[in-house]
Amino acid sequence: MQKSSIPKKNQFGFYEIRLESIGGLGANVAGKIIAEAGVVGMGFNGSNFASYGSEKKGTPVSSFIRYCDEDQPIRINSPVTEPHLLGVFHENLAARIPITAGVKPDATVVINTDKDPQKAREYLRLAGGKIFTVDAIKIAYEEKVRMNVVMIGAITRAMEFVDKEVMKEAISETFGKKYQKQLEANLRGFEAGYSQVEVMEFDEDGRFPVISFKEVQGDWGYENAPIGGVIVEAGSSILKNNQTSRQGKIPLFHLDRCIHCGMCETTCPDYCFSFVEKEDSKTGKNQMFNEGLDYQFCKGCLRCVDVCPVEALTEELEAEHEIDKITIKL
Amino acid sequence: MREQEAVFKNGNEMAAIAAAHMDFHVMGYFPITPSTGVSEELSSSKAEGLHNIVLIPGDGEHGAAGICYGAALAGGRVINATSANGLLYALEQLPVQSGTRTPMVLNVITRTVSGPLDIKGDHSDIMYTLNTGWIILMAKDPQRIYDFNIVGTKIAEHEDVMLPVIVGSDGFFTSHQKRRNYVFKNRENIKEFLGEYKPKYTAVDPENPITIGPYMNEPDLINNKVQLSNAMDKAYEVLPKILEEYGRLTGRYYNILETYKMEDAEACLFVLNSSFDTAVEAVDILRKEGKKVGIVSTNILRPWPKKEIIEIFRNVKALCIADRQESYGAKAGNMSIEIKATLKDDPENKTLIFNRIYGLGGKEFYVDDALELLKETLKVSESGKIIKEFDYIGAYEGNKHYEEKKYVKDVVSDFFDNKITVEKNKETGELIVKGVNTRNLTEMPKRIAPGHQACPGCGIFPNLNLLTKGLKGYVVFLFQTGCAMVVTTGYPYTAFRSTYIHNLFQNGAATLSGVVEMFEERKRRGEIDKNLEINFVMVSGDGGMDIGMGPVIGTALRNHNMIIFEYDNGGYMNTGYQLSYTTPHLAESKTSIVGPSFAGKSTFQKKGGVSTFHKDTPMIMAGTHIPYIATVAESHTVDFVKKAAKAQYVANNEGLAYVKAISACPLNWKSPPEEQRSVIGRAVESCYFPLYEVYHGITKITYDPEKSQKKMPVSKFYDRMGVTKHLLTEENKEELESIQKEIDRRWNRLKARDEHPLL
Repeated sequence: MQKSSIPKKNQFGFYEIRLESIGGLGANVAGKIIAEAGVVGMGFNGSNFASYGSEKKGTPVSSFIRYCDEDQPIRINSPVTEPHLLGVFHENLAARIPITAGVKPDATVVINTDKDPQKAREYLRLAGGKIFTVDAIKIAYEEKVRMNVVMIGAITRAMEFVDKEVMKEAISETFGKKYQKQLEANLRGFEAGYSQVEVMEFDEDGRFPVISFKEVQGDWGYENAPIGGVIVEAGSSILKNNQTSRQGKIPLFHLDRCIHCGMCETTCPDYCFSFVEKEDSKTGKNQMFNEGLDYQFCKGCLRCVDVCPVEALTEELEAEHEIDKITIKL
Repeated sequence: MREQEAVFKNGNEMAAIAAAHMDFHVMGYFPITPSTGVSEELSSSKAEGLHNIVLIPGDGEHGAAGICYGAALAGGRVINATSANGLLYALEQLPVQSGTRTPMVLNVITRTVSGPLDIKGDHSDIMYTLNTGWIILMAKDPQRIYDFNIVGTKIAEHEDVMLPVIVGSDGFFTSHQKRRNYVFKNRENIKEFLGEYKPKYTAVDPENPITIGPYMNEPDLINNKVQLSNAMDKAYEVLPKILEEYGRLTGRYYNILETYKMEDAEACLFVLNSSFDTAVEAVDILRKEGKKVGIVSTNILRPWPKKEIIEIFRNVKALCIADRQESYGAKAGNMSIEIKATLKDDPENKTLIFNRIYGLGGKEFYVDDALELLKETLKVSESGKIIKEFDYIGAYEGNKHYEEKKYVKDVVSDFFDNKITVEKNKETGELIVKGVNTRNLTEMPKRIAPGHQACPGCGIFPNLNLLTKGLKGYVVFLFQTGCAMVVTTGYPYTAFRSTYIHNLFQNGAATLSGVVEMFEERKRRGEIDKNLEINFVMVSGDGGMDIGMGPVIGTALRNHNMIIFEYDNGGYMNTGYQLSYTTPHLAESKTSIVGPSFAGKSTFQKKGGVSTFHKDTPMIMAGTHIPYIATVAESHTVDFVKKAAKAQYVANNEGLAYVKAISACPLNWKSPPEEQRSVIGRAVESCYFPLYEVYHGITKITYDPEKSQKKMPVSKFYDRMGVTKHLLTEENKEELESIQKEIDRRWNRLKARDEHPLL
């Protein structure tokens, strides 16, 4: 028997959730838990899947959840384009892709951020709706859990119609088997996420437009693309931006300590370092000198900090630095 | 009816649960997205002791198909799962198995066939199986995957059928979508339904010697095929009865065709699998407007449901057949061709038929797409005229105003100059490398641009950086399928500043040897400047060195002028970490999950012990007697670059050079990204991955941890990785000792080779 009624439904009878995240934050698992709580715990019918690419950490990923009444068959296999609830696991995603596409002014948005709902609305450029903010990263550090359980807590609070205890059962079902020790901490993280939200509701006041969902189309199509899938623009990956892969930490370069040995350059997987040829003032000979790194490509792995023999690279919190000012463009 | 229980599972999980519930004997498999979840789920449930299926990782899909064929010949129940080019790689085995009448179940989790490589779903793979003599059931949702695996097994084993069966389902759309499904609560009920499997002929009944697979030419082969054709007829005959029986047990009744609102439909859409449900929503919308529309799909492709197809379309005025693949050149998808041919046999049929190709390479199929197709079909039905017989939907022209951009300065012969020299000492015959200094080498432009999409801390890119620092001048790369190719060339971007080719990882070495020889021949004929020098470098993961070992050996024996570089991260990481043959012995992977009932990699059920420990690829290559073999590690940067430079010298002057790096995968090793250089260092210091080279048969250890007094036990390497950590517990003491013993044995053997030039 279905334990509660579903408050909002689209034309096909679904309450729909979309989670936007980057690989490694656990949005897929969160999606699975939220869906399972609805289907197994609440007795709804439902489905859950994710936008899959290859199995990489740090690349954007979306997870989709649909709930409907228990006797309704599920027929839609396509991604959620107009979610009732949007969960944003990483605030930097807001800048990179239109994650609010298809989000209507009466939707609910739950976002992991250290800012308040007012500010969150500004950088999400949200037309209107209910915004729940939660500092999931901070809570996760405090409780020593992954941030996804904190987000599940906040999302459960925002949804209102899925029983809190049912969600906890779904968490126990997923983490209980293999990570029994971690389970208590996870449930604490969930509770913290549930209680430590800030919420505000915004009318559609015309400050920002509603962005409708559109499938992405590239510049190259069947009329102009080189045949066979050949890419003629060598080295074009420099247009990419890898910053969302970082999870709060950066390596900081201290020129005054650097001995320019080049070890950081040999360990950096993302080829971030700039070395330039200059005259060595001591010897008068030309030599290579390290100028620092380009944070556009830095994924925050901190390999360079580990290999530096003279602590010219140190581990720092990203929030305490203005990236634009310390970055050295390649 | 037998008791059923609800589970919330995706399609791959449902295939695995079905196999576990039926207590299959053997699964031979090779991981390929999106079908990998089947073997992963079975590995996970095996660790928990939930079934007894023996999981055998093949060396490739072709090998996996061979394992399955053999296992089926030995009289038990067999399952496999594959997709796309994996299916095509196994394809030649499929008619062998049906022609020799050997049942099993193969889950084809459909995905588009490369190239260019695309891992998402369409039906271009499964259509290759239409002529293989396998029964093909199509499961449009996770529930049907479970049900059709069971029903399929029963049909396959029917004494008048005895054919293998494919259960086709949509990659990602169905394989990765969790739904509420029902399964048998008691496995006994399935056992009753299936009955005991007693094939008349098996390979393991020595008291009744038989010959399986004779040499059969005309006039006999045609008779064998008549028998096969008749067996398909029999399958067509028994299927409704089996479905009926299954319905009585489960309450889940299936027809041959899947239809919606076809009673009075005048305009109709035909689609396969998951798109059916989406289209149903579109029908509901149009029905509310009073439009007589309907949807047809089929639950079975082979045997082809001719009778039902003729009946269902008899009064339909217009039909749009939407195919998720094209038979290129036919200007039609396969379903379009087959349905049109079928309706030709019905003299009364006057249906107007047109064909649309949609959803290739995983492109979504929305309700709106179905609506558009149905509206067009309605127009055809009303006007009595076909507007366009064949077309693609969802493709786009591109931005006509887009101008090609340039991101690399003009590349000339000294553009990539590392200022390193390699000379051969005329007396000793040794190669002497000069000018390797990490500071100076920062001057060299990178052959790979930043902005690639690898995980934070990935070891592949430091390895490629060190490799390419050792290479001077023009390089043409060939990357086999794997993490390195996927993260560098996501269309329309590429990280390569040198020419790059991808081929699937069965065949990169052979492909590049073709490039090399054509280049040389065209130089000889004067079509290419005789002074042009290009270094040809193949890059592969350890996965590619499993499935592609054959062509690598062939290339080595032919000794082409090229380099093969292997980055070995001990697993199939691109698909989420399934075991490879270089995965550490007893390590955990997604296909060797450690649990109460399973000890980790290498514990396949077999007589008298485990499989050999991590694969010693350099020694296999040494057996081909190519001029140069080297192992490298990013922890030993200068040694690495020197060997890369030597490899280039060898490739230019003497033949094939094989260089292998151990490559960190912090994500799947469960190891902190920042520590990876020291983790790799420990692999070297523990002699798990010793650094040496073999030049013209003479082995030299290039770094000796004993002499440097840094040698450490393998436990110091294993404790840095989550996937081997369990081996350090007290209960695994003996296992760890056996691993240490094997590492010591290999190291001592290497030292002996280092001491004696003849070894």
